[in-house]
Amino acid sequence: MLKCGLFFTSYNKEDQLFPSMFQKTCLGMFLVAMLIAPQVLDFYYISVMNLIMIAVIGAVSLNLLTGVCGQMSLGHGAFVGVGAYGCAVLAAKGLPFVVCLLGGGALAAMAGMFFGIPSLRLKGIYLAISTLAAQMILEYVFLHWSAFTGGANGMPVDPPSIMGFSFDSDERMFYLIFAVTIVCVLGVSNIIRSRSGRAFVAIRDFYQSAENVGVNLFQFKLQAFATSSFMAGIAGGLWAYYTMYITPEQFSISLSISYLAMIIVGGMGSVTGAIFGAVFITLLPEVLNTATSLVGSFAPDISALMAPLKEGIFGLTLVLFLIFEPEGLVRKWKMIKAYWKMYPFAY
Amino acid sequence: MKKIIISMAAIAAMLFASTAFATVKVGVLSDLTGPTSSVGVPYAQGIKDCVAYVNANGGIDGDKIELIQVDYAYNVQQALSAYKRFKSAGIVALQGWGTGDTEALVRFVKRDKIPVFSASYSAHLMDPSKAPYNFTVAPDYSTQGRAGLKYIKDTWKEARAPRIAFVYPDKPYGHTPLPAMKEYAVELGFEVTGDETLDLKAMDATPQILGLKKQKADFVWVGGTTPSTAVLMKDAKKLGFAGKFLVNIWGNDENLAKMAGPACEGNLGIQAASVYGQDVPGMKMIEDETKGKPQMTHYMRGFVSGMVMVEGMKKAKANGNLTGEGIKDALETMRNYDPMGLAPAISYYPEDHRPSMAVNVCTVKDGKLEYLETVSLPRDNKWLGK
Repeated sequence: MLKCGLFFTSYNKEDQLFPSMFQKTCLGMFLVAMLIAPQVLDFYYISVMNLIMIAVIGAVSLNLLTGVCGQMSLGHGAFVGVGAYGCAVLAAKGLPFVVCLLGGGALAAMAGMFFGIPSLRLKGIYLAISTLAAQMILEYVFLHWSAFTGGANGMPVDPPSIMGFSFDSDERMFYLIFAVTIVCVLGVSNIIRSRSGRAFVAIRDFYQSAENVGVNLFQFKLQAFATSSFMAGIAGGLWAYYTMYITPEQFSISLSISYLAMIIVGGMGSVTGAIFGAVFITLLPEVLNTATSLVGSFAPDISALMAPLKEGIFGLTLVLFLIFEPEGLVRKWKMIKAYWKMYPFAY
Repeated sequence: MKKIIISMAAIAAMLFASTAFATVKVGVLSDLTGPTSSVGVPYAQGIKDCVAYVNANGGIDGDKIELIQVDYAYNVQQALSAYKRFKSAGIVALQGWGTGDTEALVRFVKRDKIPVFSASYSAHLMDPSKAPYNFTVAPDYSTQGRAGLKYIKDTWKEARAPRIAFVYPDKPYGHTPLPAMKEYAVELGFEVTGDETLDLKAMDATPQILGLKKQKADFVWVGGTTPSTAVLMKDAKKLGFAGKFLVNIWGNDENLAKMAGPACEGNLGIQAASVYGQDVPGMKMIEDETKGKPQMTHYMRGFVSGMVMVEGMKKAKANGNLTGEGIKDALETMRNYDPMGLAPAISYYPEDHRPSMAVNVCTVKDGKLEYLETVSLPRDNKWLGK
C-alpha cells in the first residue's frame, strides 16, 4: 500500500532519487518487464521501443539544457547528428563500440560548447535563433564535408559488437540501447540534484540572482551545453548503430523541433516528463498510422480522406496539450499518483 | 448489442476470408501527406492500380498480392518503424519511396533479404556490392543526367561548344548527380560555366537567373522539384534569359505547365516512364484501369515499378522460391523485360542493378507534357554506382 506521506530526518534522505520502497519495487518490476519484453513481443514493437529509447536520451538531454538550465536550443537535432557522424567515422576505423559512442558524444559536446558560446550574451528567442544557425551550419557541414561524412551519399555503419558479440538484431540492440538509456537517465537525474544542477536551475529562474550568489554564468551555461550535447551525441551514436546508415537528411531541423515538442508535451524541467514526451511523440504517428490502416481495412474511401488529416491531428494534439495541460504529461502523471495515493478516501 | 455482434461477425468473416486465399504480402511505403506527397500520391496509386490489375488477371500464378500501405510522411524514423511493421506482417518485397528512407533501409533489407523497389535513384543503389536488395525501374540520377546531356549535344547545331550551367538545391538530392554530369559534360565537349543553388521552397529565382545570364549559359540543368523549377522558369521568362532548361525527373511533370504557364514551353525534361496517352502498347490497359482519367507520369512509373516486381515474383514462383531472396535472384535473371512500352526495357544483372541505360526526353508543348525521344547510353561499367 502507498504511504500518504514520507518522513525524512535529513536533507540527504529527502534528496534521494527513489525515496520510497514502493517506488523501488515498481521500478524493479518495470526493469524486469523491459528485460523480458524482447522475448515475448513482436519485433515491430521492439523496434518502436528502440526508437523511443533513443528519443528518450535525446529528450532528456535537451530537457537538461532547456528545461533545467533555461537555454533554448533549436540545434539539438544537429548535435545528435554530430554524435552520429563522429561515432560512424570512429566505427569505420574499426574502434570498439564504447570508444566510438563516447567519442561521438565528446565530439557533439565540443560542437555544443562552441555553439553555446553565444548563450552568454543571448537569451530566449535570440538564443533560439543563434542555435537555429548552429543547426544550419552543421547541416551544411554534414552535406559538404564529404571526406568526413560521405556527403550526399551518407555513411554506412556496421552493427556494434562487444567482445565479439554482435548486436545485429532488434532484440539485441534493445538491450544495448536500454542499458545506455538507463545510464543517461540516471546520469541526468543525478546531475540535476548536484551542485551543477542547482546552478542550472538558478540560472533558469533568474540569471542575475544566480550570478549574485556566486554562480559563474559562462562556466555553467557552457557546462549545460556540453553535458546536453554529449548525451545528444550518444543518442546520435545509437541511432547510427541502429539504422546502420546515416545521411544528412536524418538530422534536419524537424528533428530538433520534435525534441522540443517532446519536452514541451512531457513537461519542461522534469526527467520523467521528458521520458513521457519522448514516448508520446514517437508513438503518436504510429498510433495514427495503425488507426488509419484499421479504418482503411473496413472503409477504404474514408481512409483516403483520413490520411491527410493525420498531420493535422498531430498538430492539433500539440496545441490542445499547450492549452489544457501546459505543464505537460508529467503533471497528469502526478495527479494520477495523488489520486491513487488516497484511494478510495480522497480529501 | 446486436449491432456489435453482427459487426464482430463481419470482422471475423473478413479475417477468415482473407486467410482463405494464398496471398503474398508486399509493403508500400508512401509519402501521402509529407513534403513529397504531390508526387508520392500518384506514384503510390500507380503501384496500387497495377497490383489491382494483376490480382484481377490471375495474380501471381493464382496467388493474390496483398498490399500493406503505410504513409510515413517522408520521415526516416517513421519509415524505419513502418518497415518493421511490414517485416512483422511477413512481406516478401517492398515498394519504397524517397532518398532518406531508402538509404536508411539499405542495410536492413540486405539483412532481412527483402527486395525493395524505390523511387530514389541514387547511383550507389545500382551497385549490388553496396545495395544487393535495392532495385529501381528508372536508371540512376547520374545516368539520367548523362543521357540528357547526350540529347542536348546530339541536337546542338552550332560550331562552338555549348555552355551548360547547373542549378540545384543545396541538399543531398541536388548534389548526387553533379560530379558524374560535370565529368560527362566535359567529355562530350560542353563548357561548364558554373553552379547556382536554388532552394526547393524558393519563391524567387532572380539572383540565380542573373547569375545564369552572366554565365551566358545555353543550357541549364535543373535538379529540383516541380515548384522550384516553375519559379526558375517564370523568372527566366521575366528577365529574358534565353537559355534552355534541362529538368530532372522530379522537376518536370504535368504540374509544371500549371505552375509555370507559358514560361515552361519548349524546355526539356527527363522522364523514365511514358506520359499519359502516349502511343505505347500498355496505354490501353492504363486507360481502362483509370477509366480514361489522365494520370501523371509518376503514376506510370509507379505502375511500372509494380509490373517489374510482379514479373520478378512470377519468375520466382516458377522457380518454386517465392521469397525475398528468390525474387531478388529471379530479378537478376531479367533481360530486356518490356513493361508494355510504358518504360524502356528493363534488365538486371547480379553485379549491376541499373534497370536500363535509357531515359525519355520530354518537353512541354501547348501546356502538355510531350514525349520527344528515348536516349540510350552504353552500359558502361565505369559508371556503375557513380
